[in-house]
Amino acid sequence: MDVWTYDPADAKQFAIEVMERSNQNIFACYQCRRCASGCTVGEEIGFTPDRLIRMVITGNRKAALENALVWQCVSCYTCGTRCPNNIQGGRITETLKKMSREESITPRSPTIAYFHDSFVTGCTRWGRVNEIQFMGAYEIKSIAKNLVNLHFTDVWKEIREQSLLLKALFKQRRIHLKLQTAKGRNEVRAFYKKAMQKKTKSRNVFPQR
Amino acid sequence: MDLAYYPGCSLHQSSQFYDHQTRLVFSTLGIDLKEINDWSCCGATSAGKFDDFLAVALPARNLGIAETSGYHEMVVPCSGCYSSLLMSQVRLKENPSLLSEINRDLTAKVDGSLKLLTILEVLLRATAEAGVKERVVHPLKGLKAACYYGCMTRFAYDVPVSDNVENPRGMETLVEFFGAETMDWSYKTACCGASAAINDPDTAFRLMAKIMKDALARKANCIVTTCPMCQLNLDAYQERFCNAHGIYERLPVYFITELAGLALGLPIESLNMKQHFVDVTGLINETRIADDTLTP
Ligand code: SF4
Ligand code: SF4
Repeated sequence: MDVWTYDPADAKQFAIEVMERSNQNIFACYQCRRCASGCTVGEEIGFTPDRLIRMVITGNRKAALENALVWQCVSCYTCGTRCPNNIQGGRITETLKKMSREESITPRSPTIAYFHDSFVTGCTRWGRVNEIQFMGAYEIKSIAKNLVNLHFTDVWKEIREQSLLLKALFKQRRIHLKLQTAKGRNEVRAFYKKAMQKKTKSRNVFPQR
Repeated sequence: MDLAYYPGCSLHQSSQFYDHQTRLVFSTLGIDLKEINDWSCCGATSAGKFDDFLAVALPARNLGIAETSGYHEMVVPCSGCYSSLLMSQVRLKENPSLLSEINRDLTAKVDGSLKLLTILEVLLRATAEAGVKERVVHPLKGLKAACYYGCMTRFAYDVPVSDNVENPRGMETLVEFFGAETMDWSYKTACCGASAAINDPDTAFRLMAKIMKDALARKANCIVTTCPMCQLNLDAYQERFCNAHGIYERLPVYFITELAGLALGLPIESLNMKQHFVDVTGLINETRIADDTLTP
């Protein structure tokens, strides 16, 4: 078990950072757990937004950044529609994902992280998402990781499952091979560049712990 | 009536037939859709998980294009796109310095005047007009539809959405207008797992199985949706999640445009409904709702 040492200054800074970046007033949470009863994945993973918020408020940084809900939250925003204090738990998990990446913590569910990375790099490159291209990029990353870790059964399962989907999509003519692009993609690329620059800058402001 | 239209990447790829049907049904109802010029990807939910700035900037470009082209309203059928565009709009309104930062890089600048509409809002408005009821030549008798909203359109992000977030009724109103039966059920705004079907399939399949079980328990004979992601998930994975969770029945998953098109008497071939995974024509033949379209 991790020993958690409480440092009030650090705790406060962490909570405020989460609050500002997610734009959610987490200090208004009074632990009524209405969000928990609505959470789509709560039952599957045994962890709910109210507890995540509690961890953030009490400054339990490590537990908050490294728990299953951060990555397995499906962004359905049910918790937010139920919360009497208008706290969008989904926004908080989104913020914590970004913060955990910035602190170079290996995501609890790497496939989910690869997926969103591939999606964003794909769509900012062409201006539009190309399902085949970004799925390919995602599969390569996720398979490579399993190969490196010698998880061959996972590799096989992944290839078999995705080829099932691909075959079905092809059969129903729901796959399109023509590259989709937006002419103004330079603007989109400029946004991507800016975002990446900002990321490196913010890393200097908040040195790694 | 001219209305700006943002199809989004899904409607240009795996759900192209939804794009086709939307245009067809809207033109039948006298609404002229104008696809905005050179739109780009809204970033979907991925951008929000990747970077704060991109999550606002990617959708913003499209808002700018629609606004500088002189449109006041834009319909966004894909629920994922709708919610990202709406979120970006709200964030930009709250944060003028972010707005000017983003506008600096944009040719078509955002001014915040655009009103975003879901496909349900537009259809509800169009069907409320006088004389439309008479045009429902094939009332959908025999269809008992589980109206499935999914989680994205009711997502409010501190902005009032047009329907009740917990128990929306817009789709039911519309489906009943077209003559089908609807019912109360508990999973209408539940989440299908969206991209989790690919990156976390066990969780996603469990979520979809719950939706399916409730629909079946309430004696639905089909599911209707407006979201391309929900449609693809519940349709393409139905065989697999049902097998994994001991469900024997299968249900066709229609887009709202398919029901609207059939009811308005559009020939079934023109709607391009062949790209479903679970058969959709069986129920239509059985209920004979489209029968005389074949012999005009
Ligand atoms: S519903 Fe809101 S106030 Fe209640 S526990 Fe959840 S986040 Fe806190
Ligand atoms: S947004 Fe995430 S945390 Fe909130 S209810 Fe949905 S899955 Fe749970």
